[in-house]
Amino acid sequence: MSAVAAKPQAGGAMNPTAMAVGVVMLLIILALCWYVSPGAGLMALVGVIIGGVLIGFGTHFVPVGGAPAAMGQAPGIATGVAMLAAGAGLAGLFGGAWAAEQGLVVATITGGVGGGLMMAITCMMVNFVYVFGMGIPAASGKVLYDPITGDSQKEFKSQGTEGHGLPFVSFVGGVIGGFLAGAGGTIIYLQLLSLYEATLPAVMGLPPAQVIPIAVAAAGMFAVGLFLVNAVLTAYNITGTIEGPHDPKFKRWPRAIVASAVASALCGFVAILIVAI
Amino acid sequence: MSVKIEVIEGGIPHQKIMIGGLVSTLVCLYLTYLNVLTNTEMFAFFGGLAMITALIWGSHTIKVLCSYGIGTGVPSAGMIAFGSGVIAMLLATKFGMAAPIVALVLAAVIGFILGYISNNILNMKIPAMVQALTEMAVVGALSLMGFAALITGGFTFAGLTTGEVSMLGMTVSSNQISFIGGGLIAVAFLLGAIAIQHPFNACLGPGWKQDRMLMLTAECGFLSMIVAAFMSFALISAGSAIISLIIAILGWAYTYNQYICLSKRDAAAWLDAKPIPDMEGL
Repeated sequence: MSAVAAKPQAGGAMNPTAMAVGVVMLLIILALCWYVSPGAGLMALVGVIIGGVLIGFGTHFVPVGGAPAAMGQAPGIATGVAMLAAGAGLAGLFGGAWAAEQGLVVATITGGVGGGLMMAITCMMVNFVYVFGMGIPAASGKVLYDPITGDSQKEFKSQGTEGHGLPFVSFVGGVIGGFLAGAGGTIIYLQLLSLYEATLPAVMGLPPAQVIPIAVAAAGMFAVGLFLVNAVLTAYNITGTIEGPHDPKFKRWPRAIVASAVASALCGFVAILIVAI
Repeated sequence: MSVKIEVIEGGIPHQKIMIGGLVSTLVCLYLTYLNVLTNTEMFAFFGGLAMITALIWGSHTIKVLCSYGIGTGVPSAGMIAFGSGVIAMLLATKFGMAAPIVALVLAAVIGFILGYISNNILNMKIPAMVQALTEMAVVGALSLMGFAALITGGFTFAGLTTGEVSMLGMTVSSNQISFIGGGLIAVAFLLGAIAIQHPFNACLGPGWKQDRMLMLTAECGFLSMIVAAFMSFALISAGSAIISLIIAILGWAYTYNQYICLSKRDAAAWLDAKPIPDMEGL
């Protein structure tokens, strides 16, 4: 099967009707959540939506090369969007979970730094392998000059390829994307954790100290589930490969914002129902 | 409109696999309820069988979806299946006896909305998308429930969050030693997600054959079941865990042999290269 040759013809077009339906669905879910759990539940859901949108938006920055990149025929890291976003986000989520007791701001930034650090290390080692292992320079195929350094790209691009390696702008994009995705994953985890820690003792009829393992594991699992849903939906939006923030496909982000918001609201609402009913 | 780029037909139609997979998964899940009726944990292995039948159905759904060349790689389909499935499954466990049915309905609703989002808001426009994502969320939820039943012997929220720990001869109830509290659910999540996406990823191409791919799914499922059966020693009685382990090992050995036979059948030629060479003079 040549998935490379026959990409879906999704294109960058927006579908205004579907976007409107998405916003209406979002409002309906928020109203349902307000009906079921007006105080803490609604606050947690808003936090989950913000986290989900951060993941969806951040994933667009990550340079994803897919199979062509593994052969040095396209720029980016040689794997899929879902894998990279999950890697960066989960690294951030674990980082943020360590700092959960330090408060929302410190934990979120720690999560972001964890995700950004993971992407920075990945991008550096990828370029290491490209330059010293495969012997190819970093060159973008989508722009003539690097938007940040101003370096000319055309001379370094091999004929018949879409570029190769990780140009500087892709590297920076990867770090920004990892930061946003890690922070988003941490926000989701923290919101669900504080909700569960507050409500699970009453729901299960146990002392607060005993429910902590349940609260941590359930919040963590919901965060991972939400993370993967958002990452894959963003992958569907990008349809394959993206070079970073300078890629024309980056302009598709408004669709991903709506999609991530609706999907996070839906999954977050289900996660809140577990303590609300 | 994207073009379906793979024209491999033949084998059992997808509708039949879907109905068969759904019915046998639900039946196997409810057979674990015999644990409650007979007050034992011997029937936990039915959870593993439920997981395997769900995975077989799911891997064929992935084949239907990924035949359109979604451009994001086959593993992403397995990830969204379990990502949306775990959310539905965790809520459904609150409903006691009705949990598998609730998981089915809830996962179908979540999957349908995710399908609408990807097809219309994200403009994928793939005909099989909505149905495939609906099925995949159901598969994710039911196979996680199968893992839960295999490891703990039940699928209710109380059973998944409490365990017993022996300390100095006394048995104390603890939330740390449990399927959810101990984090076993995370291992089950990835065991299932890898088992569901690997078969089509490994078998795709012009030489794709349905029976070979489904046999590989069963093999991956039994392999995951072996690991899960080891984990179940922590939460159910050793005798019941050994039953699960023996069934898993026998099933894995059979399906692995069958898969090798089917691979040899479909190969143009094969050479037994013997990865571990025979030592001379021994």
